[in-house]
Amino acid sequence: MSQLIQLFPLLSILILLIFGAFLTPLLKRKKIILKLHIAINSLVTALSFITLFYVAKFGPFVFQIGHYPAPFGIVFKIGPIESSIGLMFSFVMTMVMWYSIFSLEKEIKEKRVSFFYILNSLLLASLLGIVYTSDIFNGYVFLEVSTLAACGIIIVKDKKENIKAAIKYLLLSSLGSGLVLMGIAFIYSISGHLNMTYIHGEIIAAASDKTNLLLISLILFTIGLGIKSAMFPMHVWLPDAHTNAPSPSSAILSSLVIKAPVVFLIKIYYLVYGIEFISNSNVFELLLIFGGFGMIMGSLFARRQKILKRLIAYSSVAQMGYIFLGIGLGNELGLTIAIYHMIAHGLTKSSLFLSAGSFIEQTGFKNIEDFKGIGKEMPVTLGIFTLSALSLIGIPVLPGFISKWNLALASIESGKIYLLAIILISSLLNAVYYFPIIINGYFGEDNLDGKVFRSKSKPIKELIPVIILSLVMVAVGFLSGSVINFIKSGISIM
Amino acid sequence: MNMLANNYLEVGAIILFGIGFMILLLHNNLIKKIIGMNIMDTSVFLLFITIGYIKGKEAPIIVGGKLNTIGYVNPIPAGLMLTGIVVAVSVTGFMLALTIKLYEKYGTIELDEILKMRSE
Amino acid sequence: MKTKIIENIVKILIPLIQVFGIYVILFGHISPGGGFAGGSILGSSIILFRFVYGSEHTDKKYPYKYLMRTVSIALIMYGSLKGMLFILDHFGIDKIIPVGVPNTFLSGGSIIPLNIMIGLVVTITFYFIAILFEEGELEYEHASE
Repeated sequence: MSQLIQLFPLLSILILLIFGAFLTPLLKRKKIILKLHIAINSLVTALSFITLFYVAKFGPFVFQIGHYPAPFGIVFKIGPIESSIGLMFSFVMTMVMWYSIFSLEKEIKEKRVSFFYILNSLLLASLLGIVYTSDIFNGYVFLEVSTLAACGIIIVKDKKENIKAAIKYLLLSSLGSGLVLMGIAFIYSISGHLNMTYIHGEIIAAASDKTNLLLISLILFTIGLGIKSAMFPMHVWLPDAHTNAPSPSSAILSSLVIKAPVVFLIKIYYLVYGIEFISNSNVFELLLIFGGFGMIMGSLFARRQKILKRLIAYSSVAQMGYIFLGIGLGNELGLTIAIYHMIAHGLTKSSLFLSAGSFIEQTGFKNIEDFKGIGKEMPVTLGIFTLSALSLIGIPVLPGFISKWNLALASIESGKIYLLAIILISSLLNAVYYFPIIINGYFGEDNLDGKVFRSKSKPIKELIPVIILSLVMVAVGFLSGSVINFIKSGISIM
Repeated sequence: MNMLANNYLEVGAIILFGIGFMILLLHNNLIKKIIGMNIMDTSVFLLFITIGYIKGKEAPIIVGGKLNTIGYVNPIPAGLMLTGIVVAVSVTGFMLALTIKLYEKYGTIELDEILKMRSE
Repeated sequence: MKTKIIENIVKILIPLIQVFGIYVILFGHISPGGGFAGGSILGSSIILFRFVYGSEHTDKKYPYKYLMRTVSIALIMYGSLKGMLFILDHFGIDKIIPVGVPNTFLSGGSIIPLNIMIGLVVTITFYFIAILFEEGELEYEHASE
């Protein structure tokens, strides 16, 4: 039985690729395609859930793919971090798919719908691959696949701006992947291995000898993966891409695609280089600076935006800043909170984007000003939006608060008190740009006359996935203690 | 200096990487950017193959059923770079297709002109 | 440019290219070559055909629908075969890929079918990329229709 469960990570990737991506072009009827994809995604979510339980009960395991043992073959290493992030990815993807059944055809051409589903399967498979794999080159290949698939789900909506956004993303992203590949070349020339555990052994032996080479490769990895995950000065592709894509794509891009490179970066830091080498270099200070600037500047940029989706996209930049700040603190709590915040932000931002998408879809407006008094027309959707926004602002019990609180504790623990000010300012700025939308949405008076209660609200059936997302988000906030303990158990064995 | 001359392949790879990187970063023309990306990727391939190459040894192919006594060059970097080439080809193809589309919609492939055109 | 000379030379050349491509695919497990290399050779032959004989004629000969179907089926077969091998390997059955014997065609276990699948996929993908550059879209419509 346990042998069967250890198969699940590979099995979920295989199912996604074979049935999700390769079978769909053969099918003609759209209803069958939709049902197939919902079924596949639910199955993958269930498999990830079982894997999570298995890991929680029996501890982490190593799964060998291919016919040769570890230094030659590829190895999946599934611990608490990998399994929980994998579960979050597949769950959010399932919910977004469910939402997109009702709304996708209003945004993109009918011919492209099956294309969207194929790309989503490919994307989820590659993201899960990045999270699970313990082979550095395999991770690079999955990273490239995810980039191409992410560009694909931007250009499914065949507008001018989408192509512009996609090419911007692709150019910067190929810059990043070139840097990552160069880093892999350096690492390979030092160690002669591709498996993370074996590289680590060789690096420790060579650390005193080839420090400069190791430092260069470390910077190459940090900047390369930082571009892909929208670290602050390299975030310029993100707002365009996330604004112009169709709303389900925006939700996926914002909550999944920019998280996977961070997981890869964490794996490289802790599994390849090891904590001793990393803390002797100055890379954590770099992450602190980039993360701190991202938290403040992202919020400042967001405050100036007039388009709703663009505001949410800039808020993503700020939230990625929290994650990098957590990693940059360099202690156990900081890293735990970075991973917890990845999960929390994934759930929050997807429900935020989906509810914003349903505002736009029902009213046809894009700008924030036009959404005054929307609460009368679409109370349920605005309720979900409010809940997610409150989580990002940091109202107690919701996951955003938990991560901010613990981030503050972690920065005190590491002796960097001035970071508290950054966290506080960033929360205030979050409140400054989210509260006007909520307040004007409920009480905006100048637009209110002529609007009928619930006149434009979506049928509750179509909102169920978003409601489930926000309920799970609240649950992650309530159960934060056990979630954080679980992640911590994964970090201690890393 | 002597070390640089001895490892001229590595040095060349790094210089090519720098050239490609700067072209990708600084040029405005999209086709030039794509060429820069290709130069950058190719330089990494060159570096990898150089890492795996051992002077005086043969390609790892068994001829006539006998193992070569001198030994072989490391085949793993070559295998990796085959994958890398496939990735680079697909990214280049996708990017060129996007460039064609962009030219159809905007009428130019200069990135700064495209970014100026904010269509509301 | 479409002249009689080019058409006739290409008529002789294309079978040779294709035979070479098929050779590279089929003997990929015991000599240099393989699915990707052979597939790109085969793909180049179809691209040459398209450039010389024009898009309409080629589309009649190699319709988009059938190519897409072939690619999907080849990918499914590749994925299921390789996935099955991985799974069997995990359960301890089929422990190693059999070692290829030099100069013997039928050796190397599952590598021949896998190479053929990759060859098909790469052939058609390269052809699709060429169409993409020419027309800007895969499912384009002819101007005359």
